[in-house]
Amino acid sequence: MNQVIGKSVNRKDGRAKVTGQATYGAEHQIPNLVHGYLVTATIANGSIRNIDTQQAAATPGVIAVFTHKNPPKIFKPTNNWMTSKIYEARLPLSDNKIHYAGQIVGLVVADTFERARDAAHQIKIEYETHSPQINAQKANYQQATSIFGEDMEYLAGEFETGDISVSGAATVEAIYTTETEIHSPMEPHALVAHWDNNDSVTIYEPTQWVKGSQRTYAELCGVPQEQVRIVSPYIGGAFGCKAFPWSHGVLCVAAAREIKRPLKVVVSRRQMTANTGHRSQTEQTIRLAANKDGKLRAIKHIAKSCTSPVEVFPEPCTGITPVIYATPNMHLKQEIAVLNVGTPTFMRAPGENPGMFALESAMDELAWELNIDPVELRLRNETKEHQRTKLPFSAKHFAECLKIGAEKFGWSDRQMQPRSQQQGELLVGWGMAAAAFPALRNRAEAKIRLLPDGIAHVLTSANDVGTGAYTVIAMTAAETLGLPVENIRVELGDSIMPNGGMAGGSQMTATLTPAVLTACQKVLETAKAQNAKEAFANLRESGLTAYEATASSAPGEEGKKFAFNSWGAHFCEVTVDEEIARLRVTRWVSVINIGRVLNSKTAASQIRGGVIMGIGQALMEECHFDPNIGYPVVYDLATYHFPAHADIPRIEVSFVGEPDLNFNPMGARGCGEIGITGVAAAVTNAVYHATGKRIRSLPITPDKLL
Amino acid sequence: MKNFAYVRANSVEDAISRTTNDRQAMFIAGGTNLVDRLKVFLDEPSQLVDVSRLEMKQIERTNEGGLKIGALVTNTDLANHIEVRRNYPLLSRAILAGASQQIRNMATVGGNLMQRTRCPYYYDTAFPCNKRQLNTGCPAATGINRIHAILGASESCVAVNPSDMSVAMAALDATVEVQGMQGKREIPLIDFHRLPGNTPDRDTNLEPGELITAVILPPLSFAKSGVYLKLRDRASYAFALVSVATALEVAGEQIKNARVALGGVAHKPWRAMEAEEFLIGKAANNKSNFEQAAEIALKDAKTLAHNGFKVELSKRAIRRALTVSAQGGGIV
Repeated sequence: MNQVIGKSVNRKDGRAKVTGQATYGAEHQIPNLVHGYLVTATIANGSIRNIDTQQAAATPGVIAVFTHKNPPKIFKPTNNWMTSKIYEARLPLSDNKIHYAGQIVGLVVADTFERARDAAHQIKIEYETHSPQINAQKANYQQATSIFGEDMEYLAGEFETGDISVSGAATVEAIYTTETEIHSPMEPHALVAHWDNNDSVTIYEPTQWVKGSQRTYAELCGVPQEQVRIVSPYIGGAFGCKAFPWSHGVLCVAAAREIKRPLKVVVSRRQMTANTGHRSQTEQTIRLAANKDGKLRAIKHIAKSCTSPVEVFPEPCTGITPVIYATPNMHLKQEIAVLNVGTPTFMRAPGENPGMFALESAMDELAWELNIDPVELRLRNETKEHQRTKLPFSAKHFAECLKIGAEKFGWSDRQMQPRSQQQGELLVGWGMAAAAFPALRNRAEAKIRLLPDGIAHVLTSANDVGTGAYTVIAMTAAETLGLPVENIRVELGDSIMPNGGMAGGSQMTATLTPAVLTACQKVLETAKAQNAKEAFANLRESGLTAYEATASSAPGEEGKKFAFNSWGAHFCEVTVDEEIARLRVTRWVSVINIGRVLNSKTAASQIRGGVIMGIGQALMEECHFDPNIGYPVVYDLATYHFPAHADIPRIEVSFVGEPDLNFNPMGARGCGEIGITGVAAAVTNAVYHATGKRIRSLPITPDKLL
Repeated sequence: MKNFAYVRANSVEDAISRTTNDRQAMFIAGGTNLVDRLKVFLDEPSQLVDVSRLEMKQIERTNEGGLKIGALVTNTDLANHIEVRRNYPLLSRAILAGASQQIRNMATVGGNLMQRTRCPYYYDTAFPCNKRQLNTGCPAATGINRIHAILGASESCVAVNPSDMSVAMAALDATVEVQGMQGKREIPLIDFHRLPGNTPDRDTNLEPGELITAVILPPLSFAKSGVYLKLRDRASYAFALVSVATALEVAGEQIKNARVALGGVAHKPWRAMEAEEFLIGKAANNKSNFEQAAEIALKDAKTLAHNGFKVELSKRAIRRALTVSAQGGGIV
């Protein structure tokens, strides 16, 4: 063992990315490639009365124009979240109905991108327009079910017996709202579809789930799964919006088959504001009742979110509520309404993120109400078991996160009263909040080959969405084989390789590294060797070209004995220049508990990325839809604001806790999403401490501080 | 996108004659705004006349003791010019508060004056827009108008001018030198841009064919008291919700002269002359004078559904900027 696990190791893919050697989906060069440009609806509700494509079709270079009158052949998929799924249940161009502005109503294919775009611009559409439902406040809400069809209402204790007047020595109740946010990955949605003889296709597309994408496209094309190959070695950010095919991908693959040419479709930044997902706006009502000592008597959490007319996706805000604090009485409820907007979907910590903004704000309000330090209030309400499943948490170190975070931040120096800390003309506020995210794990498979040149080659369909998967896979193999990380070659993101699972729900590391570990052990057995050095010697002696082993790893019965969750605490300082409503986040400390940290560098980067995205949500991210026309009124990365460097202070990240060996043989839980949870609440709690003003409606733009 | 010809002008006269003879022709220099607009069908020129290689890249001292800035001086070069930093610090700060380093490296002074609004309704041909096509309507007025105008707007257009540089230049009494077939003329910067009225399609008072050749800054003895305060939704790389350029000449405790200009509030950089006049003769150490000046500057403000906050934000920004100017200027 050379003990590389836990060290700070630079990204294996870093050099390729910064030198432009990393080839992203739409950068694949294919001979005879042609370009598709999407035509999108400019109304949000109604239908197409007439679509005139004559002029566009006659434009030089145009090869085909697809509309609902001549859609390419698309087969209906089973559309199940666990096996094969498209983000929007409605197939593109399936009829003349318009459900939201930005909906795809056509695809123009031409020999160049510019000619396709120009022709698309010349298509004339007459609509029958109905007034769209855009206003979430006036929408018609109904009880929501989860994406797996489960009831999302939960009643415990006195709520269950019908006594809903639960109260305590202190009660706080408030409404918290979050705005529509769009994922805005650096790499836009883009793909190339390349058919071979009308019966097999290679799709170069960024996807968080290579095998799922393969199955789904196979169903959409009506071909066996083996005849679809997905190539997705690099992804320039996904955050939940690249897990399943969107309509543009479905259309690209189907159209490429009809025109018998490799086809590229790139969704423009403008189009991406409307038709490739967002996090729904939410409205949450929270009521907390507590005894004088701060012990929670009751939590009531009612959440509302919106979906599109063509898919049901509730933002599951209340899922994390029964995890964090102990309480005998609980009422959780989730409601959903349909708006004429594009389809919302998973976005980094879906549910947990807005849910914890509300819950952790309410906890802060309760702390002020009871005059108890907010760190102390959380410690007093810690729970050893999940409040719904009653299972004990495994390797939980939430209290340490709180205590060590407080110490690193210098929390004990905090003046208790709002507006009590100043720096010249600036008000200074300190805030904190808990972080929490479930630990997920699935089945995965990896293959390893030991090669005569002393290289160990790891192959799996899993991919690296920018998180550092290439590196932790190499580190796991290096550790198990006793090789330097440089001697491990990792190939990812190709459906011809063993099933590596999905990069979603913070599960990739926890799912995949045990399979890599097992495959490495297996290949040493095959080589009859204790370590790689012996194995390579045996290999040379044998005259074989390689030793190979494939292994899979999956969760067992442990989920019936334990609840698995990751934990953390954020502490931050803000300054507020009250006269000019200028808010800055000036200091940040996060202490996180994710079991064993495999790569301290990329893990800390994941947490920092989450914190930065959370600061964006807290301070600036919002996508407004025009109330009359329904189209988003942000149109690119300059108008949809997320943090610039100047908005972000130094973020100090540290980890606590031992390997969670109940969870998997590596002892590692995921860290992709936990970093963002609680961040917005930590900021608004700090703003309250600075100014005495409680902001319950994100983002905290300057107008809200006047 | 309509095909267009690309021609490189070999002299100012050549450039002017090409665009005078072809109303669909447009000048291009840094292209930081125009190229974006071309990509989304906002402009469909017959030809682009590239003026970027012409002379007009000098910053020279004028006989009066001011500066003459060539129209092709980049935003970066202007912001970093030693005389600008020394004698017109608020101009330097205003430029550095805008865009990004990469954009400022490409963008020119003339181009900055000619950049168009970032109103999202103007920017997408999916929306109707009077600025793009007269008499199609202004959806911003009844839509999401948080970033829109509170001063000088009309029923046909509520867009704002996005430039930071122009706000500083408005405060500094700059003059724009332009040249057309009829020769050169000078336009005070505060009259260079227009209010929308019934012709929001026209941003400026340039006549067809006219080319900006320079911006002239007169000497301003109290320019060092200059402040540029920009308030926005993030710390960098965002347009102003409200910005203020101020300068004060103070003798003893008495204000002798004042400059107040606002950005992000109108279809043009907004010079608050009445507020300036009010300040003359008032005590510089009495903040209530600045409060009253701010009230005067915003007295004609008209708000829409979402931009009401800009009135209060503008007043506070004026108050703060004047307070700092009264103390000799600096960064806020």
